[in-house]
Amino acid sequence: MTKTMLMMATALTMVAGVAGAQDKPKIGAAVYGLNAEFMQIWAEAAENHPAVKQGLVELTVFDGRYDALVQQEQFETMITEGYKAIVFVPIDIEAGAAAVDAAAAAGIPVFGSNTRVNSDKLTAYVGSDDVQSGYMEAKHVLDKIGCKGNVVIIEGPIGQSAQIQRLEGNMKALAECPDVKVLEQQTANWSRAEAQTLMENWLTAHPGEIQGIIGQNDEMALGAIEAVKAAGLKPTDFAIAGIDGVTDALLAVKAGDMASILQDGHAQAQGALDLAIAAVLPDYQPMSEIWTQYPDMPWADGKAKEYNVPWTPVTAENVDALLATRQ
Amino acid sequence: MELKAKTPAGGSLSGGQIVQRYGIVIALLLACLTLTLISDNFLTTRNVLNVLRQTSINGVLAIGMTFVILTRGIDLSVGSVVALSGVVAASFATTSSAGFIPGAPWPAGIAILIGLAVGMGCGAVSGVIVARYRVPAFVATLGMLSAARGLTLLYSGGRPIPALSETFRWIGTGSILGIPVPIFLLLGTFALAHFVLTQTRFGRHVYAVGGNPHAAKVSGLPVNRIRFLVYVISGALAGLAGMILAARTGSALPQAGIAYELDAIAAVVIGGTSLAGGVGRVSGTLIGALLIGVMNNGLDLMGVESYYQQVIKGFLIVAAVMLDQSKNKQD
Repeated sequence: MTKTMLMMATALTMVAGVAGAQDKPKIGAAVYGLNAEFMQIWAEAAENHPAVKQGLVELTVFDGRYDALVQQEQFETMITEGYKAIVFVPIDIEAGAAAVDAAAAAGIPVFGSNTRVNSDKLTAYVGSDDVQSGYMEAKHVLDKIGCKGNVVIIEGPIGQSAQIQRLEGNMKALAECPDVKVLEQQTANWSRAEAQTLMENWLTAHPGEIQGIIGQNDEMALGAIEAVKAAGLKPTDFAIAGIDGVTDALLAVKAGDMASILQDGHAQAQGALDLAIAAVLPDYQPMSEIWTQYPDMPWADGKAKEYNVPWTPVTAENVDALLATRQ
Repeated sequence: MELKAKTPAGGSLSGGQIVQRYGIVIALLLACLTLTLISDNFLTTRNVLNVLRQTSINGVLAIGMTFVILTRGIDLSVGSVVALSGVVAASFATTSSAGFIPGAPWPAGIAILIGLAVGMGCGAVSGVIVARYRVPAFVATLGMLSAARGLTLLYSGGRPIPALSETFRWIGTGSILGIPVPIFLLLGTFALAHFVLTQTRFGRHVYAVGGNPHAAKVSGLPVNRIRFLVYVISGALAGLAGMILAARTGSALPQAGIAYELDAIAAVVIGGTSLAGGVGRVSGTLIGALLIGVMNNGLDLMGVESYYQQVIKGFLIVAAVMLDQSKNKQD
């Protein structure tokens, strides 16, 4: 409802794509929604993939508008239009399965990226392990408070795969610190404003008792920081962490207010695209620089089922370089 | 009919009448009393200021919405206008080197005026479509909901506008004599709206247009102009709310304000303003917004899951309208 303009733009791109390049193999990228920064970085990386730039393939990015049904319809369009491969970032771990089934039945390989989908028909998956990032951020918070005291957890929308897995990671780290008590644990739906209100109320309910704040994404950690400031307290007196590495969080890390774990959407997009292109063009060698950037994630002839893009903790040392890529 | 319901001529009231007239106030007092008994932290200065500050955004939106609903209209676009005004004002107030407005940060006062102007502009477009072209308000503002969100995404490139200047942030995070600025903005908006609705000719016209548009027209009131102006007011207040939100979070997010129109409408309805137009008070709206705010705060303090809050809010809205219906039936 709110993305009419983007939808029109996508439709125009589609028409242009169909009319322009009949002979080049068409690859579709169906992403759950383009309203937030992370997915934009992802889409930009896909469009800037060297093979796309050189015109080896024709790439179209479809905006799923945060609706599983819209994504399903986009799959049907791609099947009808004779796309050769699909890169898929589903809105929901379960609801995407039917779309993957439909493409597989039409003989079109589907490559998952960023978000998992509960389907064994996926040709391969390129993403980052959310359990690991949940563990890393919680570990950072617990280390900073010396493995004792009280923490709160601000969760993503209950039931989303990232929330489930990041919580699993949070709990794994918390299990290593039995003296730490989780005072509160509630969702703020990835939203900065919601997290701010929640944190203000928690600071009131537990005055002086909270030492650590585990935000399951950066936006919510940033909201918590604002709540801490509004209560007249100093963020540096708390251990606060988030996940994703969005620009505002990079600035907050630079200010010393929080820790963040960068999720490399660029690598997730380009890696999945390399796999999709390899499935379409014979004798294709991966062209993205990410394979040299992450030696821990070998190309494996494009035959592996899972590619695990490593997380990068944002530190005082690398934050300026990361910020430079966002200008 | 409406007048009778609105202005009782004194005399003794039955128990049922008291509940009807002051039900919302009683509900708010009961909620506060219960929370005071349950939580030691509820009735503390800091928490009361928190509740008021958290209510400020919805309260400001709901006050604007009251004007619109009094004329039998509805403004579904306020959530999107919150986001659009927020990002436009923020683009003038950002200290980030990535900004695209030359010379930013501009003085906060100018950025705020620009944000208000954006809100008023959106409201003016909706107002013209409703008043001049007779498009139902539901449809016209539904269109604005989509268009303003699209413009927000286009303008910001879909990315947050960070690092707002400290002077701009003052409207969200500053305080005067220990009281947060958003609370002053809410109470100021309320006082002004209350004055306009009760003490000015325009205010009386708003009630007249909503109560009986035909009679208003026959008696020579500028019905179109009044219909137009209520959307401008709603738009301006959505702009103000958008800037308070951006100033509070320190960064203007293009996803801000999604579904805020629903909470604003809820506050108006809970506050006793009739969707049929012509009946209602802005004081009721303020109390309605406070009740929602107190409830969210209290359930957070008690550690109740946010999902319950939504269920309870749902019941509250329906109960308020049922009360409203029974009142109308009596007349």
